[in-house]
Amino acid sequence: MVAPATADWDALAARARLVRRSKAAVLYAFLIAVSLPIILPYFWLVTIAFSARTGVAETAVLWRSMGVVVPAVIAFWLTAALAQSRRQLWTGITAVAVIASLAFALLVGPDLHLGNFIFLWEPDFASVVRSRVGEVRGAVQFPNVWHAFANSILIAGAQTAIVVTVASLAAYYLSRFHFPGRSAMLRSLLVLHAFPVLTLIVPMFLMLYWIGLLDTLFGVILVLVAFELPFAIFIMKGFFDAVPWDIEMSALTDGASRRQAFVSVVLPQVRNGILAIAVFTFIRGWEEYIFVFTFLIRNSNWTMSLYMYWVRDDVMGVDYGVVSAVGVFYLVPSLILYMAAQRYLMQMSIGGVKG
Amino acid sequence: MAKIEFRHVVKRFGAVDVIPDMNLVIDDGEFVALLGPSGCGKSTSLFMLAGIYLPSGGELLFDGRVVNEVEARDRNVGIVFQSYALYPHMSVRDNILFPLRFKKTPRDEALARVKAVAELVRVEELLDRRPGELSGGQQQRVALARALVKEPELLLLDEPLSNLDASLRLSMRTEIKSLHAQLGVTTLLVTHDQIEATTMADRIICMRAGRIEQVGTPDDLYLRPSSLFVAGFIGSPPINLIAGDAEGGMVAVNGARFPVEGASGRLTVGLRPEHLRFADTGFPGRIAQIEPMGREILYVVETGMGAVRVLEQGSSAGHSTGEEVKVSFLPENSLVFETERQKLIAGAHVRAPD
Ligand SMILES: Nc1ncnc2c1ncn2[C@@H]1O[C@H](COP(=O)(O)OP(=O)(O)O)[C@@H](O)[C@H]1O
Ligand SMILES: [Mg+2]
Repeated sequence: MVAPATADWDALAARARLVRRSKAAVLYAFLIAVSLPIILPYFWLVTIAFSARTGVAETAVLWRSMGVVVPAVIAFWLTAALAQSRRQLWTGITAVAVIASLAFALLVGPDLHLGNFIFLWEPDFASVVRSRVGEVRGAVQFPNVWHAFANSILIAGAQTAIVVTVASLAAYYLSRFHFPGRSAMLRSLLVLHAFPVLTLIVPMFLMLYWIGLLDTLFGVILVLVAFELPFAIFIMKGFFDAVPWDIEMSALTDGASRRQAFVSVVLPQVRNGILAIAVFTFIRGWEEYIFVFTFLIRNSNWTMSLYMYWVRDDVMGVDYGVVSAVGVFYLVPSLILYMAAQRYLMQMSIGGVKG
Repeated sequence: MAKIEFRHVVKRFGAVDVIPDMNLVIDDGEFVALLGPSGCGKSTSLFMLAGIYLPSGGELLFDGRVVNEVEARDRNVGIVFQSYALYPHMSVRDNILFPLRFKKTPRDEALARVKAVAELVRVEELLDRRPGELSGGQQQRVALARALVKEPELLLLDEPLSNLDASLRLSMRTEIKSLHAQLGVTTLLVTHDQIEATTMADRIICMRAGRIEQVGTPDDLYLRPSSLFVAGFIGSPPINLIAGDAEGGMVAVNGARFPVEGASGRLTVGLRPEHLRFADTGFPGRIAQIEPMGREILYVVETGMGAVRVLEQGSSAGHSTGEEVKVSFLPENSLVFETERQKLIAGAHVRAPD
């Protein structure tokens, strides 16, 4: 190379820097553009739940809170993108957080209240809410919300326990033992999961009726388990496949029985898989709507989703603050669960889903 | 300690006879190596001994008792897997304790034994770590400790050194050998590395495609290989194998002709590189390549019978590439095999031409 080479390299480096920066800018713009539509509905739900008042279709609070939150989010991202050091990053984030909280307290704070969560302590809240606008008659008879909450926990919890147990054992067997029809079974596991549930709802209604499990929580649990099992087995098989045979064989020669080896050596290796399917199955049961709507009738059997549905049906026109509050209440457990299990869920993609 | 016997043992996977018919006796306290190329059924034999695989036929005996159907956990066999197979979710201490868990050993005694065996293989500082935090050599030691803690009657080592780097392999070789000398436990080492087998074992079982080719001391296998396969498999740099036709006491290989005693027909001559030397008489050739190997120098010499490897002691080359030389050897160091049956012809020799 001749002398000007160094000068050229500076120009090349400058161009590469520019390209890198503009790529990052485009990426952030894209992330903001796609995440706003996802975040906004949740944000509105929460804001309405804590600010709306009976009979008032007020949207000013919404816009004001948006006016605080959207610039705050953008400022956070800009800080993260532009900060040159850890120190700068933390100072920037703290500054944005302080300004945003102050603005929020001033602009939105005075409008916040907990009145919409009346359903938590007043089972007959529908009548109370209606009476505020003078329309008392014809309210739906709501069960205690904690009863619905317990039903949902029961359905999701029992379903999770059954799915995790059965899927682990079945997947282990599928992973470790060869038997006639094994690959056909694996294929059918996936096909089963491909069925749209609505196509089966009528036959299942009839079956539950015949075996006398219609309008029982147990019936719904069984149906949910049947629908969730194939995919859970499939996922778990991937996890078991990743556990080396050697460890198990080693446990056997170390004096363990097959069952002891499974429990003390194999299961701990698939712990993340079990956590992942447990969380997904629980949340699936928690959000379940179609089956409970079809198979559960008595209001003592209502789950949170049915409760939510009837609240929406009954008081929506009057007070959507209460509807939103029920929504927030319904949302919180799955949110907590997701956040607690996030670390393990991320590993699903690492643990590898292998056929 | 146990005496191990294979009597017409067969192992089939589906329609494939991985082990067609295995007969073998391993004496109490012996250190035996099972040597053969990858996929020849070494691990399969080992797993049958451990009770992980059920033999498809024949009898497997420990101290004269048939153990074919005895479960792995009742055999008291210690095994070190190629991958070490440590339990990743347990500390090193719990890994070593694991075999004692099922023997209902009292906690104090179990811990004492763990400590003793950890000292034996020098991992006592690692007891609180997880296997994932250990180097390959340390994992290897822990695996050994776990296999030894139950005081097994039989110790099985499946390619224990293949995942270690060269210098570690050298020191582990010595260590495993001295462990055996110390404990006297019957040990079966599986390896595809002939150096490992010859340096560590009292006796070597050389396998090929599920069959035993030869059983003997390292010297037997090296100096008197019973077949072309064993001759070619053992020794590094490998033996020179030269195929030719013998008639009237002379072998003809390519252009070269030289005397042979005690054999005729289609033959393969085997000459170890270190048994060849440069001399005033012998096969004329030209040095094509020189490979210094530290204490020895390997020459590749083009001769009338093809390229041969000659190994010479010393660290500096006494010859240069392209030099014309003559290669000779002592007749008693030559091996003669039947090309057709691949078997050694006992007592047959060849001689370098004058
Ligand atoms: N569980 C099994 N199922 C089918 N074939 C097997 C199984 N285990 C080993 N084999 C086959 O048996 C042969 C010997 O394997 P192995 O004993 O592992 O060889 P190595 O001598 O390398 O240890 C190989 O061809 C292998 O493919
Ligand atoms: Mg092997």
